[in-house]
Amino acid sequence: MIVAEQKPLEEIRQMIAPYQKILLLGCGTCMTVCDAGGEREVSFLHSALRLAQAKSGDATHTFSEYILKRQCDPEFIDLLADRVNDVDAILSLGCGIGVQAIAERFSDIPVLPGVNTSFMGMTKEWGVWDERCAACGDCRLAETAGICPITRCTKGILNGPCAGTKNGKCEASKDMDCAWVLIYKRLERLQQLEKMRRYYPPRNFRAIPRPRRLVKKVNIAVGESDG
Amino acid sequence: MYLSASNDAYDYRASKTPKSSLDHSLIPPCQAACPLHMEIREYVDLVAQGRIMEALQVIRDGNPFPSICAYICTHPCEEACRRSQVDKPVAIRALKRFAVEFGGDRRIYTEADTIHSDKVAIVGSGPAGMACAYYLRKMGYPVTIFEAHSEVGGMLRVGIPQYRLPREILNTEVQRLTQMGVEIRTNTRVVSLDLLSDMGYKAIFITIGAHQSLRMGIEGDDSPGVIDGATFLREVNLGLKPSLGKRVVVVGGGNVAIDAARTALRLGAQKVTILYRRSREEMPADPAEIEQAMEEGIDILFLVAPIKLKRRNSKLNMTCIKMELGDPDATGRRRPIPIKGSEFNKQVDVLIAAIGQAPQMPSDFRLRIGRGSTIQVDPVTLTTNRAGVFAGGDAVTGPATVTQALASGKLAASRIDDYLQHRYPQVDRETRVGLTGDLLPKTIEMIKTIGRLEPPILPPEARADDFTPVELVYDWATAISEARRCLRCGMGAEITSQEKCATCLNCLRVCPYHVPYLDTNCVVQIPVEQCLACGICVAECPAKAIVLRKPYDRRQIAEELDHALKSAVESKSRPFIVGICCQYGLFGTGALASLWRESKAGIWIIPVLCVARVETDHMLRPFEMGADGVFIAGCGEQCARENTALWVRQRVEKVRKTLAQVGLEPERIQSFMLSDTDEDSSTDLDQFIAQIGMLYLTSTIKQEGKS
Repeated sequence: MIVAEQKPLEEIRQMIAPYQKILLLGCGTCMTVCDAGGEREVSFLHSALRLAQAKSGDATHTFSEYILKRQCDPEFIDLLADRVNDVDAILSLGCGIGVQAIAERFSDIPVLPGVNTSFMGMTKEWGVWDERCAACGDCRLAETAGICPITRCTKGILNGPCAGTKNGKCEASKDMDCAWVLIYKRLERLQQLEKMRRYYPPRNFRAIPRPRRLVKKVNIAVGESDG
Repeated sequence: MYLSASNDAYDYRASKTPKSSLDHSLIPPCQAACPLHMEIREYVDLVAQGRIMEALQVIRDGNPFPSICAYICTHPCEEACRRSQVDKPVAIRALKRFAVEFGGDRRIYTEADTIHSDKVAIVGSGPAGMACAYYLRKMGYPVTIFEAHSEVGGMLRVGIPQYRLPREILNTEVQRLTQMGVEIRTNTRVVSLDLLSDMGYKAIFITIGAHQSLRMGIEGDDSPGVIDGATFLREVNLGLKPSLGKRVVVVGGGNVAIDAARTALRLGAQKVTILYRRSREEMPADPAEIEQAMEEGIDILFLVAPIKLKRRNSKLNMTCIKMELGDPDATGRRRPIPIKGSEFNKQVDVLIAAIGQAPQMPSDFRLRIGRGSTIQVDPVTLTTNRAGVFAGGDAVTGPATVTQALASGKLAASRIDDYLQHRYPQVDRETRVGLTGDLLPKTIEMIKTIGRLEPPILPPEARADDFTPVELVYDWATAISEARRCLRCGMGAEITSQEKCATCLNCLRVCPYHVPYLDTNCVVQIPVEQCLACGICVAECPAKAIVLRKPYDRRQIAEELDHALKSAVESKSRPFIVGICCQYGLFGTGALASLWRESKAGIWIIPVLCVARVETDHMLRPFEMGADGVFIAGCGEQCARENTALWVRQRVEKVRKTLAQVGLEPERIQSFMLSDTDEDSSTDLDQFIAQIGMLYLTSTIKQEGKS
């Protein structure tokens, strides 16, 4: 899941300052799960913005709310078509993907990000999320006992641990586990410690051509036999 | 099109989203067990909130004579109460009595206009007849009750002893009937139904009760000194004082036996013994009554039955035999079997046989009779074999409870109405389903045990001499504490549309009772039979996909806020402080209750049904309307639920962050958990109010400085 955090209210207010009618657009998938832009957060942001307006005595903005199931699919975004005619700007509480997808679809309407997209991660417990994947495109989890050193080691090294490990914690923060100690312990449990003795060559750090695209469908030429 | 309402969201499934006005609650077990299907959960909840008048209204909607039931109902609801899976059932009948007495039922004036011309005759003035008369009269029929005895009330008058049902209660209800215009003819025994038809009655309701005692069928059971239970109670209740001698034996194990024994004691018998042929476990009498009888010094000999009586020297020589229990019989109770050679003799002055009763119908009624001399009726229409003649109450069921009789009278009224209006019988259209299933151990484990609070009763030494009522009424604080024990079965949370649910699993994580679960299709389920309607998951669902099943619960906080904020803005009093307070606590005994009573100017109290239901939106809203401060006050240790304070604090912190970002002091919102014992928390609250006053003053001075 993509994890994000709502932007500070002040930043949001600065972004929306030039516009009057603003659609607060929530996302019903990842942003709802990570409590950054679901229906409840949209509604709370709406209240907060109204309060800020009341407090500062300016009544320039009017807000509307809407939640899409997912902001990253064109069919869902189609549902917005007749809701944005009258809108000066859309404040998307979707992740960075959602913001761009909305912007792509509505070329004449400014689309503003309401959240800072943070990472790909998982829920640790209620109200706590941890990063787990860097989307490096070259997964090595089979060799590292299902624990990703790219994400979870501060340095992202492939042949750890480094000298900065102390009592199982990382020198960067004593609250953070050393990923390589975790890997070692788990390999030990799995009786695969020999994997620690191997040398892993550096990853291919050559610039990955961006943006990446994944094509799953096969291009089949439409022929006469297709009926 | 410009939209501002948030509830428009997700229109692609709007057609499937239920309207907010729909009641999705299930019928709780207490209501299902009540013959009158009273809205017990609702009135208990209203009592817990201190809304006694409304509780009484709910009670009156379902029960024509709640004050009678408040004294003598056998409360099958309490037997069904699921609280007994945690500790003990909620004391529903005692709570009803509290609502009836404190809500002022006596002063309620009922009126009825005659809108129909068809006259209805009711034969018998017991609870079934009275209920039928009440409802028919309310529908606008001219109603006449015929009563053979000199006084109205049937078994309520001649069967139930005064220490259980004070006669002024019964008299009030009879007066109410007269007030409504019901004609009551006492000392009038109806011997022929044809005569009633000739008198112009278009429908007749036969509710003659079951007053004929069954005989024991043993040698000497007609000797002098043997009296049957019903006759004995009737004589006492009609003001006669039968002479009993010193030693009295009562035979039987039902409520009549207990009533007869306790009455005999009150008439001065020195030694009263009850003989029952089975064991205490099978005894049909109300356990509390058995308990009270034993407290008063009445002996109960179990597994004993008389087999022979002989009158000698104005004493009764009684031969008894001991019993043992065999296999269960048709009623499911174990059959008593005499133990050979265990006979023993006992000498008594009077024997009261209370082993059951049957209706005694004048033969000229020409009604079809079934098992145990009861009148045969169609169970749905209550019609007999004669056109226009209906029957109900004990005369149809055999001896039963007052609530069953009231229910049958109520049903008869609507069936007679159908008959007179030439309608097909209108069967109740209850669309809600009943709640079934037990609480799971993991849920029970998390429910706070709170002991059942019994209403005070007179000490045994004070009650055995006269007929004053034994059970007293709750005081305000005890009633509210008891009512809060209700588990609110069947009105919990539900996911109204699974499409809206993001399956974030927050509800699983926040539920204090471990109720929501993920099914094998990865769909979140909130089993209705487990949920206790605390509302925490509703407030924590990021998709707002969870709502409470009762429309009132869904709207309550927002509506109360709207109302109070509107008045507050109009009043222009400053500083303007909003207190969102637990309504249960407001009427409790703690600091919160004093807050309500001594509510200061400028403080607007929003009563909520548990602070755990207060969402962050609700907390922010008053500031938008210009409030200087907001406090949330829970009932603290008095709270019947778990974790409420934790969730309130979480949300308050979030609101504080937002306030700071808007440029308001975060300390303008604070939560308090007040309790009985904690003096400090109410001082803290006073300090908070003073502090908000100061903040208001400084901001005003700053403003003036600027201008």
